[in-house]
Amino acid sequence: MKYFEDVEIGAVLETATHTMDREEILGFAQAFDPQYFHTDEDAAKTSIYGGLIASGWHTAACVMRLLVDQFKGKTASVGSPGFDDLRWLKPVRPGDKIYARSVCIEKTPSRSKPNLGTVRMRTDVFNQKDELVMHMTSIVLYLRRPVKSTGG
Amino acid sequence: MKKRYFEDFQLNETITMGPRHVTRDEIIAFATRYDPQPFHLDDAAGRATPFGGLVASGWHTIAMCMRMMVDGWIGQSASMGSPGIDQLRWLKPVRPDDDLTLTMIVRTIVPSKSKPDRGIVKSDYELKNALGEVVMTFSGMGLYGRRPS
Repeated sequence: MKYFEDVEIGAVLETATHTMDREEILGFAQAFDPQYFHTDEDAAKTSIYGGLIASGWHTAACVMRLLVDQFKGKTASVGSPGFDDLRWLKPVRPGDKIYARSVCIEKTPSRSKPNLGTVRMRTDVFNQKDELVMHMTSIVLYLRRPVKSTGG
Repeated sequence: MKKRYFEDFQLNETITMGPRHVTRDEIIAFATRYDPQPFHLDDAAGRATPFGGLVASGWHTIAMCMRMMVDGWIGQSASMGSPGIDQLRWLKPVRPDDDLTLTMIVRTIVPSKSKPDRGIVKSDYELKNALGEVVMTFSGMGLYGRRPS
């Protein structure tokens, strides 16, 4: 189990690859981001994107799934207060294969909660051409390694 | 609603959206696909954490906000998408049967230097639950087309 103390600054972790599915792109957009370039393949051709593209939030949600699958059960992370500097750099299209690389750039023990620490993770998301399509800097809360009590 | 172009935004303009009701079923459905951490899937698992019960994935909360924004004005605008988001913070959990209200305030309006047919509007957002507690804040950018001449 990876606790706060075990997180290595600079170590790069890479996820598996997810293929962006056309039906799922349409379904997510219908529910959460019904702009025409996400929901209407014909109309999307007239947009600046030249065709249907995934909602940026759908891409982000797919990345979250890749990260959870990668780290689930292996890390003592207990949620996230948020993120900074999320940028969508290139459109993501049906059939694109995306994967993410995460690296810890900073870690800070909590002053107020001695059992917790904060880790800043920079996540870069690439497509099948290894083009950077998205990045963000997440803040993740980690449990500190439990202290073994000394016998009395 | 008249179509909103880049020129139609005003500094400090405020738009309020919602309320949007959050159901247990949709929390579990979203988390099952996109954020399958135990406290997003199951009450018992949630009770074992400081959340004290099942809570929505933060990504689901954002997605619900996006829907409110598209219904609120983006769907009737010359939107071309967004370059990104800054300083998003999940401040309080979102729980089953919450009712969420979103407020947007326009902070900067910047024409594109390279492409004269568009510009970027940056706004601050605040999401509240039915108790009036702020559950999420962020700063978001929207790319909008100029009115055709």
